[in-house]
Amino acid sequence: MKYIIIGACAAGLACAEQIRKEDASGEITVFTKEAYLPYSRPSISYLLKGAVKEKDMYLRKPSYYAAKRIHFVRDTAITAIDTKNKTVKAGRKAYAYDKLCICTGSKPFVPPMKHVEGKSNVFCFLDLASAKAVKAAAKPHTRAVVIGAGLIGMKAAEGLSKICQSVDVVELAPRILPSILDQKSSKLVKNHVEKEGHIRFHLAQTVSEARSKGERISSVVLNSGEVLACDMLVIAVGVRPETALAEAAGLSVNRGILTDSKTMQTSQKDVYAAGDCTVSTDMLDGSKKIIALYPNAVYQGTVAGAQMAGGSQELGGCYAVNAIDFYGLRICTCGLINAAGEPYRDKVRHSGEAYKRLIFEDNRLVGFVLINASQNAGIYTNLIENQSDITALEQDIFDTPSLFMFDKAQREKRLKGAL
Amino acid sequence: MKRVYAKEELCLNCRLCEVYCKTAHSASKDVLKANKYETPAPVSRVTVYGDKLRSAAVNCRHCENPKCVQACITGAMTKDPATGIVAVDEHKCIGCMTCLAVCPYGCITTGRFAIKCDLCRGETEPACVKNCPNRALVYTDLGGAQE
Repeated sequence: MKYIIIGACAAGLACAEQIRKEDASGEITVFTKEAYLPYSRPSISYLLKGAVKEKDMYLRKPSYYAAKRIHFVRDTAITAIDTKNKTVKAGRKAYAYDKLCICTGSKPFVPPMKHVEGKSNVFCFLDLASAKAVKAAAKPHTRAVVIGAGLIGMKAAEGLSKICQSVDVVELAPRILPSILDQKSSKLVKNHVEKEGHIRFHLAQTVSEARSKGERISSVVLNSGEVLACDMLVIAVGVRPETALAEAAGLSVNRGILTDSKTMQTSQKDVYAAGDCTVSTDMLDGSKKIIALYPNAVYQGTVAGAQMAGGSQELGGCYAVNAIDFYGLRICTCGLINAAGEPYRDKVRHSGEAYKRLIFEDNRLVGFVLINASQNAGIYTNLIENQSDITALEQDIFDTPSLFMFDKAQREKRLKGAL
Repeated sequence: MKRVYAKEELCLNCRLCEVYCKTAHSASKDVLKANKYETPAPVSRVTVYGDKLRSAAVNCRHCENPKCVQACITGAMTKDPATGIVAVDEHKCIGCMTCLAVCPYGCITTGRFAIKCDLCRGETEPACVKNCPNRALVYTDLGGAQE
């Protein structure tokens, strides 16, 4: 059996590992357009700020891949998928597959801006190569401008603030981290970041154009007319699923690649997809969405791998769970954090820099936002995943969650068990 | 594999398991220094929850299919295929705490990196078990249902 996986990040690696668990002899080939063996994408901002070394970013040791006979083909972009002849092409070379998994992840979204394209001091911040380029270009005297105050933009800004003279962040939304934080908690995080990182925010603003000296941008103009000096422009507005290969091969795509909700098979037999390039069904409200988060990618990759190799594991529920920190402020979110109005209700407890917002639907917990209050957050996540009846809990749900939330029988089961 | 199991009916809520866990994971390995004077202060990987009437020392279950390992975004959290121990590589961990966000037992503590039970790495008996005065913690490969 010949297995081919396109993409060597979270989903691709999980897929390869699961295939090997199910099939000891099959041939596993992973194509990556990057120059590196699988590494931690989220670690790139820690590389930038000097908190992690490149050698510690690699997810597995090279010897591990040799032992598991997972073969990587690096620096090789797959240019086409031929589902009829069951081959993938890299330029003129064709590689045959019996089962294929597309794990192409995300691509950065670049909003239309005048006079930005082709300039030498414009960067994305998405992979190791782009992080190294940003790190090499960032100097103590650099005045950096980051466009986008989402997870990637904020991590880029945090890293840059440890190196550069100044960091300005421009965000279209009226608040930072709009996808994971509500107004109040966003303000709390913004205050912390301004104080700790001396980052200047320009909210509800866009960059309308850049001004240049030769090949380099020297300043950017906001739609308010304000001009920001700029030695380095980092574009981190957001990401979109990378679906070009799948679309060209005629697979069903609607924003992301569509897959069977149990098997991860695409609209084409023997072709699977997993991770950020796919559309997920959120188990908490049934909605179709892109869940571009690491644990989800690993989960989907694992299921796709199992299915490809004839295993029985099927996809259960998908939901968003994320943890991130900014200058020591810990943020942990899960589930339907933007749910508002019927049938949802939320409750907030807030004191100082600790903030806890829980979102409920009937007698179930469906989401949380925890800032400096993440102790034992996994127990909340577990309540969400199991859709547990919270009226049966034996302590206030706002207290630090522990096994003593559950009745004696449940507690015993947990104390004596292991997943 | 051998795991630590807590017996709620025998736990006195004395928290000596926490004291000796800190000591075992300290620089000095001295109970007084570790618990009073050492900086950075060692962190206990076992926590007693509950009250005077009912309590239990909760620590990592070293799951067969650990959610923390699956969710780890850096490859720092691994399950040793030989020993079954789930442990953190402190060099690789960036302290994002995604593991904490998915651990259904609440057994991961925040620090510069994730802090959790390592079963005292190969000791014949983990410090919490060895020093529990009421034998409310047992270390066995018979599973949690044993008496």
